[in-house]
Amino acid sequence: MDSRRSSSSFFDREKHVVFLQMMNQLLPSDYQGQEINRLTLAYFAISGLHILGALDEVDKEEVSSWVLSLQAHPRNEAELNNGQFFGFHGSRSSQFPRDDNGVLIHNGSHLASTYCALAILKIVGYNFSCINSKSILTSMRNLQQPDGSFMPTHVGAETDLRFVFCAAAICSMLENWSGMDKEKAKEYILNCQSYDGGFGLIPGSESHGGATYCAVASLQLMGFIENDILSKSSSSSIINVPLLLDWSLQRQAADGGFQGRANKASDTCYAFWVGGVLRILGGYKFIDKKALHRFLLTCQSQYGGFSKFPGQLPDLYHSYYGFSAFSMLEEPGLIPICVELGIADIAAIGH
Amino acid sequence: MEWKEEGEKRPLSQRPEWSDVTPVPQDDGPNPVVPIAYKDDFTETMDYFRAVYFADERSLRSLHVTAEAIHMNAGNYTVWHFRRLILEALNADLHEELNFIKKVANGNPKNYQIWHHRRWVAEKLGSDATSKELDFTKKILSLDAKNYHAWSHRQWVLQELGGWEDELAYCKQLLEDDIFNNSAWNQRYFVITKSPFLGGLEAMRESEVNYTVGAIIAKPENESPWRYLRGLYKDDAQSWVNDPQVSSVCLTVLSAKRNTVFALSTLLDLLCHGFQPSQDFINAVDALKTPDLDQSDSNLATAVCSVLGHMDPMRVNYWAWRKNKLPAQTA
Repeated sequence: MDSRRSSSSFFDREKHVVFLQMMNQLLPSDYQGQEINRLTLAYFAISGLHILGALDEVDKEEVSSWVLSLQAHPRNEAELNNGQFFGFHGSRSSQFPRDDNGVLIHNGSHLASTYCALAILKIVGYNFSCINSKSILTSMRNLQQPDGSFMPTHVGAETDLRFVFCAAAICSMLENWSGMDKEKAKEYILNCQSYDGGFGLIPGSESHGGATYCAVASLQLMGFIENDILSKSSSSSIINVPLLLDWSLQRQAADGGFQGRANKASDTCYAFWVGGVLRILGGYKFIDKKALHRFLLTCQSQYGGFSKFPGQLPDLYHSYYGFSAFSMLEEPGLIPICVELGIADIAAIGH
Repeated sequence: MEWKEEGEKRPLSQRPEWSDVTPVPQDDGPNPVVPIAYKDDFTETMDYFRAVYFADERSLRSLHVTAEAIHMNAGNYTVWHFRRLILEALNADLHEELNFIKKVANGNPKNYQIWHHRRWVAEKLGSDATSKELDFTKKILSLDAKNYHAWSHRQWVLQELGGWEDELAYCKQLLEDDIFNNSAWNQRYFVITKSPFLGGLEAMRESEVNYTVGAIIAKPENESPWRYLRGLYKDDAQSWVNDPQVSSVCLTVLSAKRNTVFALSTLLDLLCHGFQPSQDFINAVDALKTPDLDQSDSNLATAVCSVLGHMDPMRVNYWAWRKNKLPAQTA
């Protein structure tokens, strides 16, 4: 079968639902390398089904109990304050039982997994008052660095804008900002704005669509920039909005798709990352929706799902962001998303 | 610290040196979501990793099993974390470790955990590692000149360990290879603003403007040098407006009537910042108007927006909005 002839002329919602259901049942062994963050894969599958209007297929109780089983819990106040992060593990591969003395020596819980866990719980309508949010928020502060950025685990890892976003989204979903120093986080974000208006993942690095989403969504969640800032005529802003707007719009390439960086190929997922930035700023109306729609359909797989580039095999990550992009394009049958949290609007607001 | 022979494919359960270890299976329940169809060798390796990790056995065989686990799953940060603990406990030769990382990175050049581990090792080695790190990132960039991780690591090396001397020349070389390489332009900006061997942004501005103008003239459709040019005046819009080289390169490109979009949008931004255009600019924009456009637009900025709507139809709504927002007194 020539996969190059995979695009059709319409968004094939039913095929995508089947694709996600299959992934939900069993992921092929190619996904072994993503074992450590299975929670993220679960988020793609479940949030994807939600956006496609097919959440009924999901057993919400089962999902909640599996997600909650991945949470790290401190035994007492002392343990809570020992410098570890008590969030969620991405899978059992970083989660180990306490040793014979009841000490939790192996705690691999991770900020990104925590974000995904809470997002899933929001989606399935779990009662958030039942979540031990105090231990998450208190211990999350241990992950914030002197420069305002976040490390995702206390055992040591790279620090960059992705985890600032995770932290902000976690605080937002838990409706409690005690988990982070917002001012310091803001400073770090501002230091990431590049000379061309976009944001890099760390200060000094090249402006990038994913990093820019993390920056803008975080600032919006933390309340440092207003939603739809472009329609507010007199606002000044802590970031260079005109330059950012121009940079973001320029990311729509000649083939109609969005690129992550200047002079690079268009890739499905940036329709969400950069499209999302524009949506938050109030500039989504400036894109060429028809051209984007056309491009995205060339990345739609005959097996359901979306690939990164036209005519390739689909993967869960690009599929999810493809669905999100179509939701932003107001595809019939898809439900609206809350761009800055990365979940459906209705999940963000609460059932 | 011998690297395990590539040919060693015997399952761990059949290797004598592992006979005293009971592998620890993964307890996935209850009702796991998105289960993965693990291959047998993956499962076995991870079961043995779990055993030594849980027992906190920081030995040579543990080091070997982390290598095997990494080869199957380079994203597992728990394995990398334990490997670091073992390396410290065994007081391992970190130069050897750099070789190990190089091998793993060959198959996974875009993996965050590998690069973080590399940084950890380099940090421990300090300036002993400087030239190796610059060579390593150069090698990766020769295969993919835009590898984001390689560039971040390289910037970290320069700032923490040094080696700035040849960096501007390196950027120049990369831009000669591909003038559209936005990563190289970004690195160039990084170097001219931060290198202790150059004078900083303002001191470098004039020579950089010359360089950038040359790049623009060569390929006016290249977004990178236009953004770079603006960036050279980062917090000083007035100097950007007043620099005759900036407006002049716009005029040159507009007059050539090819690939004019960035020249037009730059001119628009200049006008919005108070640039006073000469008749040459008005004539150049007039010459780009198509018959269907309003020929009587006496306002240059408005005319530029109209032409942009035609030349850059992807962003027609944006240019219409820009036109609408123009203050009445813009030239």
